[in-house]
Amino acid sequence: MAFVTDEFKAKAEKICAKYPRRDAALIPLLQELQKESGYVAEEAMDELARFLNLPYARVKAVMTFYTMFNREPAGKYHLQVCRNISCHMAGAPGLLARLREKLGIAEGETTKDGLFTLSAVECLGACGAAPVMQVNDEYFERLDEARLDALLEDLKHGRLRARDL
Amino acid sequence: MENILLRDKVAELEGYFAAGGYRALKKALAMEPAAVIDEVKKSGLRGRGGAGFPAGLKWSFIPKDAPGPRYLVCNADEGEPGTFKDRELILKNPHALIEGMAIAGHAIGAATGYIYIRGEFVAETVKLEKAIAAARAKGFLGRNILGTGTDFELHVHRGAGAYICGEETALLESLEGFKGQPRLKPPFPAVKGLFAGPTVINNVETLAAVPAIIERGGDWYAAIGSGKSTGTKLFCVSGPVNKPGVYELPLGVTFKELLEKSCGGMKEGKRLKAVIPGGSSTPVLTAEEAWMVKLDYESLAAAGSMLGSGAVIVIDDSQCMVKLLQVLARFYHHESCGQCTPCREGCGWLEKLLNKLESGRGTKKDIDTIVSVAENMMGRTICALADAMAMPAISFVKKFRSEFEAHAAGKCCPPDAPVKH
Amino acid sequence: MPKITIDGKNLEVAKGTTVLEAAQAAGVYIPRYCYHPKLSVSGNCRMCLVEVEKSPKLLTACSTECADGMVVNTASDKVKAARRDVLEFLLINHPLDCPICDQAGECGLQDYYMEYSRARSRFRLEDKVLRQKRRALGPHLMLDNERCILCTRCVRFCSEVTKTSELEVMERADHSFIDLKAGKSLDNDYSLNIADLCPVGAWTSRDFRFKQRVWFLKKAPSVCLGCATGCLIEAHHNEGEVYRLMPRPNAETNTWLCDRGRMSYKALRAGDRLTKGFIKNGLIDLEPALREAATRIDEAGAAAAILGSPWLSVEDNAALALLAAAMKTENFCFDFKFETGIKDGILINKDPSPNAAGAALVKAAKGGLDFDEFRARLNSGAIKLVIAEARAAALLKDELRASGARLIAFATNRTDIPAGAYATLPYASYFEVPGTFINYQGLKRAVQPAVAAPEGVKPLWEVLNKLAAYSGASLRLDSAADALKGME
Repeated sequence: MAFVTDEFKAKAEKICAKYPRRDAALIPLLQELQKESGYVAEEAMDELARFLNLPYARVKAVMTFYTMFNREPAGKYHLQVCRNISCHMAGAPGLLARLREKLGIAEGETTKDGLFTLSAVECLGACGAAPVMQVNDEYFERLDEARLDALLEDLKHGRLRARDL
Repeated sequence: MENILLRDKVAELEGYFAAGGYRALKKALAMEPAAVIDEVKKSGLRGRGGAGFPAGLKWSFIPKDAPGPRYLVCNADEGEPGTFKDRELILKNPHALIEGMAIAGHAIGAATGYIYIRGEFVAETVKLEKAIAAARAKGFLGRNILGTGTDFELHVHRGAGAYICGEETALLESLEGFKGQPRLKPPFPAVKGLFAGPTVINNVETLAAVPAIIERGGDWYAAIGSGKSTGTKLFCVSGPVNKPGVYELPLGVTFKELLEKSCGGMKEGKRLKAVIPGGSSTPVLTAEEAWMVKLDYESLAAAGSMLGSGAVIVIDDSQCMVKLLQVLARFYHHESCGQCTPCREGCGWLEKLLNKLESGRGTKKDIDTIVSVAENMMGRTICALADAMAMPAISFVKKFRSEFEAHAAGKCCPPDAPVKH
Repeated sequence: MPKITIDGKNLEVAKGTTVLEAAQAAGVYIPRYCYHPKLSVSGNCRMCLVEVEKSPKLLTACSTECADGMVVNTASDKVKAARRDVLEFLLINHPLDCPICDQAGECGLQDYYMEYSRARSRFRLEDKVLRQKRRALGPHLMLDNERCILCTRCVRFCSEVTKTSELEVMERADHSFIDLKAGKSLDNDYSLNIADLCPVGAWTSRDFRFKQRVWFLKKAPSVCLGCATGCLIEAHHNEGEVYRLMPRPNAETNTWLCDRGRMSYKALRAGDRLTKGFIKNGLIDLEPALREAATRIDEAGAAAAILGSPWLSVEDNAALALLAAAMKTENFCFDFKFETGIKDGILINKDPSPNAAGAALVKAAKGGLDFDEFRARLNSGAIKLVIAEARAAALLKDELRASGARLIAFATNRTDIPAGAYATLPYASYFEVPGTFINYQGLKRAVQPAVAAPEGVKPLWEVLNKLAAYSGASLRLDSAADALKGME
């Protein structure tokens, strides 16, 4: 098994133990697979289906239902710009246009160097600090052109600011 | 007014405990579950996620003799556009939620709780898990809490990107490892919920208010607020105001007060045109309608809208209402689970109509079609997402029809980059 | 037992009955797509919305349990509007395929549109959501995702009936589409029921594709002869051709039909259909073939034997019994011991033959050897010639070969003939002539013919009648029923 390795299985058992029914761990385990490979491969879904004793069709249906699952490897930095109402009013379309221009890609695409994937997403739940962009696991708020440019520079140099909690 | 929920220096267990945290849990565990429910009933606490259903009443729906395990679920999916209060609460005061859940677990006889948190809230998830670990280490969670013999195990479960999972039965489906497709009701979750067991699902803000209610009494809580809208609310304000953010205020505060006192008024040069009072799914109010309206359940309903999640979206007159409705239609279309006919087809239809109007290719007839399609969607679906799409559509057209007609006559706002789906 | 009122009719129903089921019992039809009596309730098509007093919203009849005192109205203006609007929503993205769609004439959208809507479209063709069309997803089925109304009957069928779970709805919103694993084939043993279940032309039968417009088809009630389950079916035919078989749902035996049974009509026009006699690898007309067979029978004398068949009707078995009597032979057998019972949990029977119980009826009336005794006599050389239907003979093919006994077989198709048969005579299939069959439940069912037999092919009792005549005996059979004389 390429994806559901013994190491993965050990992690998976701990996750399954949180639920009275093993198949409830399907989404967390898909997330785990994506964490390890950057996306959810066909083969990974097959192996996971066998591991949880589920039909492949269910695993695929779940994977394609939720937006956070990548079907192909994404760039090193997944730039997800919120395009919903508050961020729209705060200038999200302008930010998206600037990103398209600077990176030379459209939404849904990845730069040739594999560094950036650009997506427009729906409300990220941080509207008071609009416009908001999520990069991998981090939120970047109150963005304007200057801050966006600075962030892109940081990212190009491999600096993804971790947040202080 | 002193804040109940958004307090300082309570983000870590030490601070929370020093400020009196987990006293309510101790008190509740010494009470009969029915007494805890009564106290919450007395407080008048209503669901803060959007539906406004009386929390104590919901808890009392758990059948007394139902066999099998019961579950308590916290809805931390926070997907309603304009809403960002639960995130704030989790970052600033996670233990209020944890303690509230432990108390609620005792009240309904649930030994297991899940916090379903939207997948995008990664940092918040980490924070929550750390707080839970700290609480468990101190004996506030787990087996035999504080030596009382009560068990309450709390797990965090992440979503994977679906607004519909904020609907309680879609959340349960997602938790059980399925697509987030809402269930037919009845049966209601209190009777048949998570893993077919009796289940209570409450919003983060609702549960976080419980410790204070137990500590200081339901009557104390009920004295705050206005009429049947008791207690405080976390209002989220976004839009062109000087200080957007989350503000804890007693229910019944007027929009004027919220805007001017808490948010420092409109930004320089921005004139108020419209207000969406409770998250994008609530009917829009004109500036006039919104100005003196009291922000509580009954007053907003009387004004033809809803308190919803308390997400106040402020719109100024530089914004085009057709464009904004297009943005919302694109959202609901994207988020429809696709199960039932009116929503699946209607949301797509509405987005297409708005795309036409926004780009100057629409007609006056299309405006009427928008209202007709929206009305045909309402009340005929498995869940309220169709209504959530329809209500903004109908209210935007009704109250800002001139903008739609201008578009139909070809007079459009300068277009953005083309809408890409 | 709740008492409810539907459209003014009062009725009392069992607890747990849904409004839709109650309406059905009261003779009130409520339109529906996703509901199916044998599948779980889905409640997602929204076609069955009805008005229930005291409820502010319309409720889906399929999922609403009857409560005492409930007053239901299925014909109010609100309900009519809801039906029109749901249909409008279903039609906006539906492709204009009627002229090329096999479902036309038995299509849920066409039928309900005519009955409950007739509204003009207000959605532009260019705006329709496009999906994949013409996907051959298995040996029997074609899927057109554009026509699909996402009722999920097919998904539930695979999950709940065949328990194979190949299908699911992928994606969400109006990007949703039914799919199965890339490269996998939808070939469980019951796949064609999906074409029946699908209310529209999304799932269609590849076998039936483009062959016939359904409004020309006539329906002949029949029984599937693929195994001892004896599913009730209908042969749909027009102008002398059978185009497809459909199940006739009934409470006792079957709702569905297995794919093998579904295709059993293909033998009628298969390349190996026998229309002439077959002697020593040469085709020969029926009359000379009969004479040749009769000569061999006379030669064998007392060493001739007759084997009944669980693949023949009661009447044809009875005719064989009459032949045995006319030949004055003791070597005849109508005893077939198959283990019976459903073997796959759905419909397919352990007993591969449709009428072992019917043969047993003839045994009870006419006697004869047990199967083991017949076999023993064959092995010992006491039997030198066997007259049998081909598949029954195949049960003893090793013994026939070993003993060198001559086999005069009756067959409809050449593939059924055991190797080494001396002569084979054609007979008409039970799509062409009537017959009675008894299934594993002991239920006696009659087959009604759908089409005429090919030129020169006769029902078996008639062939036996002639065979007897050539052997100097007379069975005096003028009809299949004649063979049963003396048996009741």
